[in-house]
Amino acid sequence: MDAAGGRHRWGPQPRQRERVIAMRLIEWLTRRHREDDLQDEIRAHMSMAIADRVRDGEDPEVARLAALKEFGNVTLTRERTRHTWAGAWRLWLLDFGHDVRYSFRLLRRSPGYTLVVLTVLALGIGANISIFRMFRPLALAPIPGVENSARLGVLVAETTAGRITPLSHPDFRDLVRTQDSFSGIAGTSMESYSLGLGSGGERIWAEVVTGNYFQLLGVHAQLGRTLQPSDDVTPGGHPVIVLSDGLWQRSFGGDRGVIGRTVRVSGYPLTVVGVAEPGFHGSVVSMDVEAFAPIMMLPQLERRDDLSSRLVPALWGLGRLKPGVTMNAAATQAAVLFGRLSELHPTGDVSQRATVIPMWRSPFGAQTYLLPAVVLLGAMGVLVLLIVCANVSNLVLVRGLSRRGEIAARLALGASRPRVLRLLVIESLALALPGALAGLLASEGLGFLMSLSSSNAGGAAGRTFIDASIDGLVVAFAVILSCGCALVFGLLPAFRVSRVDLASIMRDDLSPRTSTSGYTRNALVIAQVAVSLVLLVGAGLVLRSLESARRANPGFDANRVASLSLDLQSGGYDDARGQAFFASALDAIRADADVESATLATNTPMSLVPGRARDFEIEGYAPRPNEDLRFLYNIIATDYFGTLRIQLLSGRDFTTADDGSSRRVAIVNETLARRFWDGPQNAVGKRLRFPHGEWMVVAGVVRDVKYLRLDEEPRPFVYLPYRQIPLAPMFVHVRSRSEVAAAIPRLRARIQSLDANLPILDARPLREQTELGMSILQIAASVLAVIGVVAALLAALGTYGMVSYSARQSEHEIGIRVAVGANRADVVRQFLVRGLRLGAVGTVVGVVGAAALSRALVSLLYGVSATDLVSFSSASAAVMIVVGLASLIPAWRASRTDPIVALRHR
Amino acid sequence: MPLDLLQGTLDMLILQTLQWGPQHGYAIGQTIRARSSEALKVETGSLYPALHRLEKQGWVKAEWDVTDANQRAKFYRLTAAGKKQLLQERDRWTQLVAAIGGVLSPDNAKG
Repeated sequence: MDAAGGRHRWGPQPRQRERVIAMRLIEWLTRRHREDDLQDEIRAHMSMAIADRVRDGEDPEVARLAALKEFGNVTLTRERTRHTWAGAWRLWLLDFGHDVRYSFRLLRRSPGYTLVVLTVLALGIGANISIFRMFRPLALAPIPGVENSARLGVLVAETTAGRITPLSHPDFRDLVRTQDSFSGIAGTSMESYSLGLGSGGERIWAEVVTGNYFQLLGVHAQLGRTLQPSDDVTPGGHPVIVLSDGLWQRSFGGDRGVIGRTVRVSGYPLTVVGVAEPGFHGSVVSMDVEAFAPIMMLPQLERRDDLSSRLVPALWGLGRLKPGVTMNAAATQAAVLFGRLSELHPTGDVSQRATVIPMWRSPFGAQTYLLPAVVLLGAMGVLVLLIVCANVSNLVLVRGLSRRGEIAARLALGASRPRVLRLLVIESLALALPGALAGLLASEGLGFLMSLSSSNAGGAAGRTFIDASIDGLVVAFAVILSCGCALVFGLLPAFRVSRVDLASIMRDDLSPRTSTSGYTRNALVIAQVAVSLVLLVGAGLVLRSLESARRANPGFDANRVASLSLDLQSGGYDDARGQAFFASALDAIRADADVESATLATNTPMSLVPGRARDFEIEGYAPRPNEDLRFLYNIIATDYFGTLRIQLLSGRDFTTADDGSSRRVAIVNETLARRFWDGPQNAVGKRLRFPHGEWMVVAGVVRDVKYLRLDEEPRPFVYLPYRQIPLAPMFVHVRSRSEVAAAIPRLRARIQSLDANLPILDARPLREQTELGMSILQIAASVLAVIGVVAALLAALGTYGMVSYSARQSEHEIGIRVAVGANRADVVRQFLVRGLRLGAVGTVVGVVGAAALSRALVSLLYGVSATDLVSFSSASAAVMIVVGLASLIPAWRASRTDPIVALRHR
Repeated sequence: MPLDLLQGTLDMLILQTLQWGPQHGYAIGQTIRARSSEALKVETGSLYPALHRLEKQGWVKAEWDVTDANQRAKFYRLTAAGKKQLLQERDRWTQLVAAIGGVLSPDNAKG
């Protein structure tokens, strides 16, 4: 009761919580006092013990020593007593704070070590953060500005060949009406349209969407309104458009009066009703979509009835799944419902079914072709991180060894092993967290990221947007990554260091001359050399692919060819006037003395993105069940093959006589001719057609070219004469005699002299377009090269550290050897060989590893085998040279050891 | 050869020692040693944490005072709660000794 009475001093019957708070406060305020109090108490104990012994006749000095010995470990007693004062968590926190302060003090005291470790961490963590910043917008947050966009299901059609295509508009509406897996589905499709007229015209990405699109995504208007379900009623009856923030700022200067203005999209007048909130760039990954029009306006924008036909792929769905419904269940339901629709409305097109795929698998956007590359980069990143951890481990280990004395002292004074381990881990964390910060800064500085996110990889219209910004998720990733590293590089050495034999170390003047952890350090160096070799081999393979891709023959010659994109429909032309305009434009261009030849085409070769494709029927050929007869085709004018230098194998080129009044004709490529008619000679005169269309007679056969990418397999391809096909936007290809860049302004002027209002949306050398096909290789090569060089530098640093450490350890021995007349060259050789031996082992391990791993690169490689001898041998040579240099410097320094200094040192 | 103290018995011995009057830490250690005929040796590394634990639980109360030899020292005094605790611990000890004695008794060993 006494104790309770004592507490009552703080107030009459205080309530429990207040009392606890008061107690805590007093405890905290009196903590210092209590510490001193304990000190006094122990001192009193000691003096009484001494006094007792002196009274028994002992000498005062002997008594003091005896009392001290009898008392035992003072620090431990104080520590244990202190533990009785506070709760466990508070105590842990106090110790923790103490350790953190100690760690930072230690790091401040050796700025060189701290700087090296931070630089290494910044490189390794920075590279991984950069890769994560690419991964997040592709897989984790595909639609910027929309919550949980990665969980959206994409409702699409899938052919039996596994190709994903949009659904027809009627099918989409029927599916949406009958399904119950989604709480809501919005439809969308993306097209590139011209905006404005004449020289002020530009090409933009636009989404044509259902009325609930903005509502479903949860995107609001910052000005005016978004599209509403009321904009989704009558075909052709809703001529409105919503702009993105970017387009509003860029083309309208952020003018709030833009609402109500009329803009021409693909030549059709639409009224601006709103501006979407900033940060929303449409729902297509990597594309910067800048305008949103109602799907009901698709016939007006596309100039064909795409809304009522079940044969025309028009749009895909974005849906939020109901709680508890899986993506698979939704896909199954969609397939079942689509099957019923097909029975209800037989179209003959039975090779399709509806399905639901996750956002990251959607082909509408860059994710499917960028994700594999980013995942590959991620694997590289992990390898780099391994090197970084090995490197930092090594540094921590070397330093830890030089701190064995301190740690032995801690253990001797009664610190427990977990306590010492914790201190060492906290020291690692004190490095890792600033390392995460440095990594974030380094990632911000890494240029390749920017080149990726702003490259024009989209064909003719090139506005791309990838949100690679740093947000909470990226920061969390950085912190987790660096803590993980800290545990790896901190714990391994910590276990070694804290397992010390007290007696031997105390005896051995606190710094052991021989170290038993040579194995660990050697293994770390070997690992670094091996991993950097793997990365360098990867970089070499990709660089050599790039080289052979540059030399490769794509089947056409893009040099000195200019390409201008014309959109006559936006200029208000109908079919007849448009074809007449094209004819006179070609005449005007061909009249130029500098022009060798000129032609028209709807698609450029090596376009990366598939252009026009349709199902074909071959006369007399019965397709196997589910055989895919969907071929890419191009609509061209005369002299196309001459202009692009594509070889005609048999038959003839199109002529001006192949027009609407004459027999329908086509030219096919060699692969198609071989597949159906036993080769080019037999193909001429055979017939093919679009389903239900008119037969087209094969007039000629041409050699294959690379239609999409350099590394594509040969594929069937069809050319059609533009005068026999409805008007379409076209590229003018012009082969000039002089430098193509100089020819382009003249060509522009010639076309605009015919119609000043016609938008010329794009005018550039064809070479620029075809080189886009190599952009992925180029990016991969530069990233791999950078990562490989960083890895090699890290390996060099590791080797350097190892050799110079062992040289320092042997300083004494070298001193003696030099003093008794040893040759300095012998000393150099001794340490050089030590480094090179590790380098050689690492190289062998690395070659084996690279041979196993380079298969992952096969999809990126072109014209180079995954076990290319040149790449392997040059990477090995590079690594060995780096290792040699890294060992030579400390070896040479060791040989300069002054024997007198070295011998006096001990 | 001093015996090791049984786990948990140190608190009881301290409380028992303090029943004869307030004592400082050094004297408590000496008293236990003397009364056990040097058989029990109390480690200071255990004694002081135990004293502070008992104080926190309110079974003893500490005050600075001066010894007969004019040495300033911290004296521990048994509180009412401490007395009650001591009685309980003694009871439990008696029961424990009886129980263990029963197990070890020669009669039992035969039976």
